[in-house]
Amino acid sequence: MSALLASSIVQTVLVGAALLGAISGMLGAFAVLRQQSLLGDALSHAALPGVCLGFLVAGGRDLGSILAGAFFTGALAALVMQVIVRRTTLKTDAALGIVLSVFFAVGVVALTHIQGQGGAASAGLMTFLFGQAAAILRSDLWIMGAGGLAALALVLAFWKEFKLVSFDANFARAQGLPVAWIEGALTVMVAFAIVIGLQLVGVVLMVALLIAPAAAARQWTNALGPMVVLSAALGAVSGALGALISASARGLATGPVVVLIATAFVLISMLAAPRRGLVWQGLAARAMRARISEGRVLTALQGLAQAHGDTAYKAERGMLNTALGAAPHAMRIDALERRGLIQQVTHPPETTPHWELTQAGHEEARALSGNAADKDRNLS
Amino acid sequence: MRDDSLHEPQFALHVEDLTVSYGADPALWDIDLDIPPGVMAAIVGPNGSGKSTLLKTALGLVRPVAGHVRFLGRPVEQMRGKIGYVPQRHSVDWDFPTTARDVVEMGLYRKIGWFRRPGAADLARAIDALRELGMQDYADRQISQLSGGQQQRVFIARALVQDAPILILDEPMAGVDAATEAVIIDLLHRLRAQGRTIIVVHHDLTTVQSYFDWLVMMNVRIIAQGPVAQTYTPDNLRATYGRQLAMIAQPGAVE
Repeated sequence: MSALLASSIVQTVLVGAALLGAISGMLGAFAVLRQQSLLGDALSHAALPGVCLGFLVAGGRDLGSILAGAFFTGALAALVMQVIVRRTTLKTDAALGIVLSVFFAVGVVALTHIQGQGGAASAGLMTFLFGQAAAILRSDLWIMGAGGLAALALVLAFWKEFKLVSFDANFARAQGLPVAWIEGALTVMVAFAIVIGLQLVGVVLMVALLIAPAAAARQWTNALGPMVVLSAALGAVSGALGALISASARGLATGPVVVLIATAFVLISMLAAPRRGLVWQGLAARAMRARISEGRVLTALQGLAQAHGDTAYKAERGMLNTALGAAPHAMRIDALERRGLIQQVTHPPETTPHWELTQAGHEEARALSGNAADKDRNLS
Repeated sequence: MRDDSLHEPQFALHVEDLTVSYGADPALWDIDLDIPPGVMAAIVGPNGSGKSTLLKTALGLVRPVAGHVRFLGRPVEQMRGKIGYVPQRHSVDWDFPTTARDVVEMGLYRKIGWFRRPGAADLARAIDALRELGMQDYADRQISQLSGGQQQRVFIARALVQDAPILILDEPMAGVDAATEAVIIDLLHRLRAQGRTIIVVHHDLTTVQSYFDWLVMMNVRIIAQGPVAQTYTPDNLRATYGRQLAMIAQPGAVE
């Protein structure tokens, strides 16, 4: 492992992947909350013709012009999408689908055309489809770092405006905020994250790095600040881990591994997160069911006690079953006994176990029937 | 050059010759509308009659193809911050990671200004606004955990915190429980008593007479407008909704 980390290529890829993950995680949080995850997908696919355009203009694999081209066609795609939504009856999802596939098709046609013409450099263009981490240079890290810092500064400076526009753009507009500019800034930053991710992850999978960390982070927190921080952190960890794993094994492409790790975080979060996670919700539902059936046992015992005018009325199991219309699970009876709400007693000459409410049980049952009455009042 | 001189300043809301069109069919046609200050006005009309579009156009969210809008004589751009707006509850995603207090503070963002964060005074004002709606105990509650009625109250608190002389509400009583409706109406009546103008898109004809004192009836164009007592008539109802509904919602004596 230490030998691995000493390699300068691995270091570069590691830092680059972590930086990319952090940037796209931070910006992806806003994209997901604005329900524009698929815009990122369309933008990244639309970057492909730009990559080819940049290659043709520069006459070779010049990173600057390739990224500029990607940015240009990405912006063009966003513009076309907006025109389609505004000027036609097509909805956003249809516009996204059309723009994504048309731009991507143009990109693939251009790509195969360039490759058909031959030339050693043209082979490298293929890496923009699925990314090639080893192609990252030290100098690229400075661009990514500077861009990431700029994006961070913007997010901090316009935090409350970004929050308001993401939550309720109409209200922001009614307040007189320049919503078009704020939304534009968010979209341009997402496009920036995509462009710097093209080399590493490629146009096809890039959107996962925007969505996955944000979707995972949302599960763990109910506040925007922590969500954005966590999303950036998960993105960075996914990037770093993915770079390490692909460097330590032969023939594992970095980009897809990074995406798989980010997706694993989503899976874990969907299952395990407190409150929002499926496991937690399943347990909560079970606990609720248990509480309800325990409550029914208590109120049945209370009802029997009242009917007999005897607070220490001892009910047999069969009596309870009949009163409830179904046999309460033995576990519930045990649980109630553990909670000190009922106690098992004998009622000579019968030898079967009987139960009576304890003092605490009486209070709990009273509270339960009181609550039920309150609920009824509220509902009416 | 835009003419910035006051135009019809005697009205809280003045709309003239307003036409809005999405595609071929007009959503609003030649709307002429005046709402005097200090009233609580209902805008009613069937689904698709352009009520929400009228509000959005008045607020500058939708661009009209013709006509103009003035609030207290001024274009809306000069009245930002003096108009509280409560959009339809379903227009936002309530799973957004934020709290009730945070949403209410959004009503202060404009006043707080660029590059600054809400401070203790802003927090106190947000809590006060929540208290007006009986929501102070829910300030730190995640908004997705609020009931529909509570969410609506948070939305109204966000407009209330602006302390604006004009309040515009889009279907605030849609899908809320009776208790919330009573709280909202009580608050709106108190605000009217303070001299504010309240403009509400309303859907429940049975409560028009008891809640409101000014009525605008519309169906793409304006059918009738004026004090409720003179405007809420069978003829106008028929003209707005067609024959059947007018039979159900007979104007009657109100206690």
